[in-house]
Formats: sequence, structure tokens, C-alpha cells
Amino acid sequence: MLRSQSTKMLAVLLVIFAVSTLYFIFPTITVAQEEPKTFLTHTGLMIKTTGEVIDPIGYSGEPLEFNPDEFLRDFDYGIVTELDDGTILREFTITARDDQIMEVSPGVFYNVWTFNGSVPGPTIRATEGDLIQIHFINEGSKSHTMHFHGVHKAEMDGVFENVGPGGQFTYEFYADPVGLHLYHCHVHPVEEHIAHGLYGAYIVDPKEPREPADELVFVLNGLDTDFDGENNFYAANTIPFYYKHHPIQISTNQLVRAYVVNILEFDAVNNFHLHGTLFHHFPAGTDSVPSGFNDMLTMSQGDRQILEFEYEYPGLYMFHAHVTEFSEKGWVSSFLVKEQNEVKSDLIGNEPVI
Amino acid sequence: MSQSSKYKIAVSAVAPIVLLTILIVFILGSGSSFLQFGTVLPEIYLEKIDFVDSEIQVTVRNTGPIDVNVVVADVNDRIQPAAIEPDNHLTRFETALVRIPYDWNEGQPYAIGLTTNDGTRFEKVVDAAFPSLQPDGELVGYFALIGMYVGIIPVMIGLLWLPFIKKLSQNKYQFFLAFTIGLLLFLALDSLEEAFEISQNNLADTFNGTLLIGMVTILTFFGLYFVSSQLINKTKFSKISAPVSISLMVAIGIGFHNLGEGLAIGAAVGLGNLALSTFLIVGFAIHNTTEGFAIVAPLSKTKSVIPKLAAMGLIAGTPAIFGAWIGGFFFSPFSAIIFLAIGAGAIFQVIISIILWQRRENNFLSSWPLMLGISLGLFVMYITSIFI
Repeated sequence: MLRSQSTKMLAVLLVIFAVSTLYFIFPTITVAQEEPKTFLTHTGLMIKTTGEVIDPIGYSGEPLEFNPDEFLRDFDYGIVTELDDGTILREFTITARDDQIMEVSPGVFYNVWTFNGSVPGPTIRATEGDLIQIHFINEGSKSHTMHFHGVHKAEMDGVFENVGPGGQFTYEFYADPVGLHLYHCHVHPVEEHIAHGLYGAYIVDPKEPREPADELVFVLNGLDTDFDGENNFYAANTIPFYYKHHPIQISTNQLVRAYVVNILEFDAVNNFHLHGTLFHHFPAGTDSVPSGFNDMLTMSQGDRQILEFEYEYPGLYMFHAHVTEFSEKGWVSSFLVKEQNEVKSDLIGNEPVI
Repeated sequence: MSQSSKYKIAVSAVAPIVLLTILIVFILGSGSSFLQFGTVLPEIYLEKIDFVDSEIQVTVRNTGPIDVNVVVADVNDRIQPAAIEPDNHLTRFETALVRIPYDWNEGQPYAIGLTTNDGTRFEKVVDAAFPSLQPDGELVGYFALIGMYVGIIPVMIGLLWLPFIKKLSQNKYQFFLAFTIGLLLFLALDSLEEAFEISQNNLADTFNGTLLIGMVTILTFFGLYFVSSQLINKTKFSKISAPVSISLMVAIGIGFHNLGEGLAIGAAVGLGNLALSTFLIVGFAIHNTTEGFAIVAPLSKTKSVIPKLAAMGLIAGTPAIFGAWIGGFFFSPFSAIIFLAIGAGAIFQVIISIILWQRRENNFLSSWPLMLGISLGLFVMYITSIFI
């Protein structure tokens, strides 16, 4: 009697053990089979799947919070007043935050630190000699500053005067010299503050305006979403592969001026390669004579270049990092070049607004 | 026993369980607010990577404490479009199949990465890509043949030592018995080492591979000990009972061990590691001849055992075939570890049985044949293991 009971117990235990083991060994028993959908990758490989497609390269889902298309041709000229001596005063209010969680690539959520709510911050634009006032408000939980490249007094350098949480600071300097500069937070550890997104482009136009052109801003950056000191994603204007699946429309025989700022962290060198045409490039945009005519541009951390080019033939052209690792992790873009009369005229020409 | 005292016993048995349930409900519910500290990190584990036609397939499991989404797939740290079935949301312990269209090159190493919704990338490296085996008749037969070469035939050859052992004096016989113990001890340690290695390389930390191995080994040991003592009790009126049942237990133990060996060979073939698998087959064949010896040694003093011997040879050898099938077609680190640990536990039980059996008859444990036999057994196994 006793033996048969204990034998039963043993049998039950064995069955429980076996079933739970089997559950872990073979857990995926798909019950409902949906109609398979066909999925074609950018390299032409095709598979049929009943599951979900995860494809940041050919993404066609809901738009993400940050729209690189809007950023591309968006210039912040500030609130403009003319002072008694005829100087133009441009006032900007910039707020820093470090608590936003943003969808940086489809499905990937990352804590971005922002100037005015976006990465990159607004492209600040003035004309040589203008007086610039930046009303900086730190709404973050850490100290932040704004360090502008360019000519200014030491106390306006945004390096030693840390602005604590809830603090404010007004940076004041003249727009000098002409060129393409940048600004970023300079609080230690600087790498962390930049990697999280506290930077933006700063353009000083010459008094004599540059030739009218379709002007575009590319801030080359990366995202180290798992904090291992290596970028998981690379991009022109933050969102990996964005201009790959949303080509930038430009037109043939129209001068294009690209303001390219490299603010990539962790990788010493970034570059820019243009298909289908060559560009004149102006290092930091400080000189009016181009320093070369090329389709390759190598840039170190913090380097800027103004590129000027035109397309002769319509079609789809790539531009991307020729460090192919970067391009295959997001820094790959394309221009859709159309015949001149097909492009909406309001995209062309960015005359300074006074 | 009165009705009321029975009632009291029932209450005292159930009350702690009820109280514990209340405590757990409280902690998970309203009491959870003051227990919120620390950060919860998602975790996934890439359990298996298969290379099929122009496609890399990854079996991924959520081994972390919270739900995750798998949102990016990459090959060698380069982002690739992929499909994930049934969907990209994984609850705790759920698995999914990630299918990455990719023209991979045979024999080349690949690092496969998956990134979760918080941006963390998890990676698994495959030393050399080889097409995954699909079970068809030819392959099933092929694996059965390998199992025969490795399991059944060498064990049967080993059994041919019977007439030789029968002629031995008591001391020499004990020496060979101890030699067998040495062989078996080494096999058990070998199985455990293999199990720990698989647990280290292929099993997510969540599954506590080390504890699983210990647990299964101990359970097997006591389970088989129980079964074998029942067997001996049932046949206690027959004089040959003890040696036969010990032989049977040796055969069962070796059978589990050979299942593990079959797994190793099948997995090696499955991973395309043909050079390794040929070597494994030759090595295991030599090695397993000594296993036949281990089965036959306890039986030498009994008569008319040939049919029993053949059966035991099959019990010990056939599992190698099943092992090769499982290893080649459905390799799972979880099952491999369990089989290997069972093998180790079974062998430990056999060793204890032999020692107890011999101790009853002689002063076995402190004799020079034991010392010499065990040393030589371990040494021989160590030498053969170097060549496998």
C-alpha cells in the first residue's frame, strides 16, 4: 500500500519535471498561422513571414517624434531688433533638458538631452557683426552650458560658468567670424553631454550674402544607446537611415549649399561621400575660395565644412559616410534630383530674414 | 484520531501557506510602492543560430525580468532588415524566431546582434557558418550508423573480454574491477565537465545551469540507487542477482553517457564541424570499448550470461544513436545538459554499487588492487581523452 502510494508520488513528480523541462526546451509552438506576407529587403532578398518586419533601413511606418525633413531647411534667426547704432540684435531663448525619452530609430527609445527639445538643437543663424543674445535656461537635472565656437570674450565661452539645474545665463557676443560653426554643452564629462545630444549648428553669414542656393543642414552624429563607448547608430540629423527612406528632393542645375557639421562622438573620423557629382568645399566656411573639388570629405570630431554642388542629371543619388560601418549603421542618405521645373519653388533660396 | 484533531492538523498545515499567499499578494499589489528601488534591465539571449538558404535564423529568448521588444537585427554589427515571428514583443521567457535575409558565406565566422527597445545590443558569435541539417531519411540513417560505430559495436567488442576475466584470480579480478571504477569515474567527471561547458556557452544565466547539473546528478544518483536496490531485493533468492543487477546498472549508466556522446557527435556534425566529428567518432569508439569491459567485469563469476550480455551491450550502446539524432537535428543546450548530468549521476550510482558489493565480500576498499586499478583506469582515460 505504502509502496504503491510512494511510487505514484514519484511518477507524478517525474511527469511534472518532464513537462516543465519540455516547456523550456520547445516553447515556441505557434498556434495560429496567419497569412504570410512577402518581405523584400533593400538588397533584393525576399522572404515570406507570418511575423513582424523589423526594418529601420526601409522603414515606412508611423513618423517618429523628430522629423529630419523639418530640421533640414530650418534656420533660427532669433527675435530681431535694430539697436540705436544700427547694429542688429538677435535674441534667442534656448532651454536645455535631460529627461526626454525619444524614439530615435523605429522601436528604439533613448534618453536624449536637448536644446529646445530636439537633437540637434536649432540651427542658429546670424549675419557677421550682429549682436547675439542667448537667453539660456537649464531645465535639466544636471549642469549644462552653451559653448559657441567663434570669437567672443572668455566669460561668454560657456565653459567655466556652469549653469546648474533651474539656472539661467545670458550669452552675449558678436557674430564673428563668417562661417559655419557649432555650439555644444561643455560641462564635464563633455563626451557624455555631447553624446546625449546637446549640440547644434551655428551659421554666420557674410554681410555680402552668399549666392542664393537650396541650403541644407547636416549635423553628422551618432547614438550610443547601450553606453558601451561605441555608437550603435550613425546618422545625418539623428535618425538613422532617415533620408534613405525619405530622399531629399532637390533639382537639377540648382546650386545646393550643404552646411555639414561633424559632432560624432567615440569615432575620431567621419566622412561624407557624394554620388553623381562633385562639390566645392569650404573648411569651416570661413574662406570664400573653395579649398577643393571632390566627392569625398574627411572630418574629425567638431569639424565643419560648407559644400556647394549642382546635379546635372535627374535621379536618385546616395550620399553617405564612406566609412561603410557608419553607413550600414544609419549614416546613409539620398537625394532625389528632379528636373528644375518639377521642384516646388518655396524650397529654394534662404535669404536672411531681417 | 478524532474528527476535531484531524481538522486542527489540516488547519496547521494550510495556515502558513495562506499567510504566505497574503504576503505575496501584498508585496505584488498595494505594498509594492515602498519596494521600488534599483533599475530593472531587459535581457535577451540568442539561444540558437541556424544558417539556411540566404537566411540567418536566430532563436531568441527573453531571459530578463520584464517584457522587451526586439527592434533591430544586425550581422557583424551592420544593421539588416529582418522578420520576427510570431511578433517582436517578448514576454518573460518567451522565444521568437528572427529571420535575417543574408547571403552568408560557408565557413566564415559571424557575430549576430539583436537590439532591444532600450537600445541595448545583445550578440552571439558563430565560429563558422554551416548550413543547418534538415532531417531526411539519408541523414537519419547516417546518424544511426555513426551511433552504431560509436556505441554498439565498441561496447560489444569490449564484452569479448569476458572469457579472459573469468580466468583471473581474486586479486587480479579485483584489480580489473577497480580499473573499471577508474574508467567510470573519469567518464562521470568528463560528462560533468561537458555539461558545465555547454551551460557556460549556450545557456542563459537565468536557467542556473550549474545548479541544474548538480540537481539532476543528485536526483539521478538517488533515483537509480532506489531502483537498483528494488531490483536486487526482488531477485535476492537467486545467487547471480547482485552481479547481474550491477552490470545492468553499469549498462544503464553507460547508456546515458553514450547518449551524451551521441549528442556531442550529432551537434558537431550539425555545426558543420566535420573534421572534429570524425575525430570524435574514432576517439569515442576506442574509449567505448573499455565501457564494454566495465559491463562485463561484474559478471565474470556468473554462468550462462551471453544473452544477458548482448542485451546489456544494446542498453549501453544504442543511446548513442538517439544522442546523434537529437544532437544533429534538435540540439538544445537545456536537454544536452540534462542528459549529461543524468549520465554522471548514473555512473556515480554504479561506482557506489560496485564498491558496496565488493566490500561485502572482501576488504575491497583498502586493498592494493583497488588503489592500483583506479589509478590505472583514470590514467588510461586521461590519456585517451587527450586524443579525442
